[in-house]
Amino acid sequence: MQGSAGTEPDKRAYLDVVGVGKAFKGTTVMSDMDFRVARGELVSLLGPSGCGKTTLLRIIAGLTSADSGDILLDGRAITRVPAHRRNISVVFQSYALFPHLTVAENVAFGLRARSAPKGDIAPKVSEALQLVRMSDFADRPVAALSGGQQQRVAVARALVVDPVLLLLDEPFSALDRKLRETMQVELKSLLRDRGMTAIFVTHDQEEAMGVSDRIAVMNSGQIEQFATPSELYARPRSSFVMDFVGLSTRMRGRVSKTDGPVMQIDTANGMVLAHGDYGVGTKVTVGVRPELITPVAGENTIKVTLADAMVLGAKTQLHGASHPEDRLLCEVPGIQTNLTRGEDVTFGWSVKDTLVYEAPR
Amino acid sequence: MRRLEHIGLLALPGLTFLAVIFALPLFMLLLKSFQIDGQFSLEEYRLFFTDEYNMSVLWRTLRVAALTTILALLIAYPTAIAMSRANGIWLSIFLVAMVLPISVGVVVKAFAWSIIFRTRGVLNDILLSLGIVDTPIRMLFTETALIIGAANVFLPFMVLPIYAVLRQMDTRLPEAAASLGATPVFRFFNVTLPLSLPGVVAGCAFVFSLAVSMYVIPSLIVGERQQTLSMLTARSFLYLRNEALGATISSILLIIAISVVLGSSWLANRLGARS
Repeated sequence: MQGSAGTEPDKRAYLDVVGVGKAFKGTTVMSDMDFRVARGELVSLLGPSGCGKTTLLRIIAGLTSADSGDILLDGRAITRVPAHRRNISVVFQSYALFPHLTVAENVAFGLRARSAPKGDIAPKVSEALQLVRMSDFADRPVAALSGGQQQRVAVARALVVDPVLLLLDEPFSALDRKLRETMQVELKSLLRDRGMTAIFVTHDQEEAMGVSDRIAVMNSGQIEQFATPSELYARPRSSFVMDFVGLSTRMRGRVSKTDGPVMQIDTANGMVLAHGDYGVGTKVTVGVRPELITPVAGENTIKVTLADAMVLGAKTQLHGASHPEDRLLCEVPGIQTNLTRGEDVTFGWSVKDTLVYEAPR
Repeated sequence: MRRLEHIGLLALPGLTFLAVIFALPLFMLLLKSFQIDGQFSLEEYRLFFTDEYNMSVLWRTLRVAALTTILALLIAYPTAIAMSRANGIWLSIFLVAMVLPISVGVVVKAFAWSIIFRTRGVLNDILLSLGIVDTPIRMLFTETALIIGAANVFLPFMVLPIYAVLRQMDTRLPEAAASLGATPVFRFFNVTLPLSLPGVVAGCAFVFSLAVSMYVIPSLIVGERQQTLSMLTARSFLYLRNEALGATISSILLIIAISVVLGSSWLANRLGARS
């Protein structure tokens, strides 16, 4: 495990979610959820819609109450503390700016709510607006702002109150792709500079990998894996994580022979070797990251008929014809125009890069 | 553009109907109030505004309408909030409870109130049996009874516009306010209330217009003893056969109604302009 929080989770935990459970109208959305974040860490909750990531965020914010379990912040139990006394700011997906207030009034809202001294409010607001480069818009109504500007105001409004924790619910999803990437870089360095502890909720794995120190991949109310982006990508703990984070070649297979740490797996595309200790006869899913595959023979080699060769600029994607539940994908750097549909090619990769997961029964 | 003009034609039957049935008679009435023996004159208005009794009726009418509006607002606002948060069966119950009484004739409702308020009525019986009062209080034929009864009848017209606005409000806004440290009270006065003001203005305009021109409710609850402008109008036309006075009072009522409508739409626009 990399990262400071992984080594000594108990000592370092700043936010500590312990055994939290939640059900809506009899349907359990999460049970016995444990989740720890260290001070100053940027963490993402990543998962498909309905996986419980937003519910967890709302429980931390105090906007939804947990049925069971505890939430500790800096060692203090806040489980029963109402949202307005937690000092946890939230940036909502739609930004939830107050439409009847100007940009500056929106930013001032939290200070006014805390009855900050009148003289302190104006300088703090202008400082916060400066931070997000929105000073020129202070007196505009928020409805007149573009999506990116609204997001900046939402961030300024959330940060001006010096929260102990910042929660962001899909903060970039309303922005177009170019702007999204710019805002991610901007926001990340802003949070870093202030040493802010922040949790992002997102369904976009690229966004999660870009903005966070660690990512918790969630699936049906459970955290499947909580690790650094590189660890998640290189060593996904389950086939769900492998599929959700990044692309991969994946094939269904069955262990046909074991030889010490090496298993021999039969797939629709031939025999594949992998490290692992599943017994003979176990149904498994084999995965390989596409950039680890080369179109030449390797320790593992399969014959593939090309279904498509997609030139994407920096890389070329080779899609092999396969059973609909399998996927054969190889990425080679640069532009490759010599390969065309229908051609027979070889995919080769090393045994250590082969991921194996027991198939769900 | 041309398409739009064609679609505009669809409003023609409605506009014609309103012009013939509504605007024309109203215009003739207005004309009548400015005429004495076929001559243009402001004499009727001068007579009306210099008559102490007429003025007392005018003030009572405005006072009753204003107090009815305030009472209805105080009752309607929490109801509208509850409705905006209700779902499923509860929302249906609320909506039926709001809409159904509209279909019950106003006479029936006003009569029901007179049963409760009369000297040996339900309310007095309760007060007497609880020993709160020794002798029955006169409640019927008082302004208080009129205001309570009118607020009851017009309540849906206050609740529904406020409910509609609250329902449309982004539920994240109060949540955002809470996460920024706003207490429930601060949230209400700085987020929910200002954002619901257009609905409040619409509801107040509805109820005030209805209350200022109500006829059946005061007739049944306060009777002839305390006249309102509408009752005075009816009396002028039906009993006094003074069409000029009737037309004048009608015109004054009309002017009040128009000012309320224009004033409230101006206010609603101003409030809505920023959001």
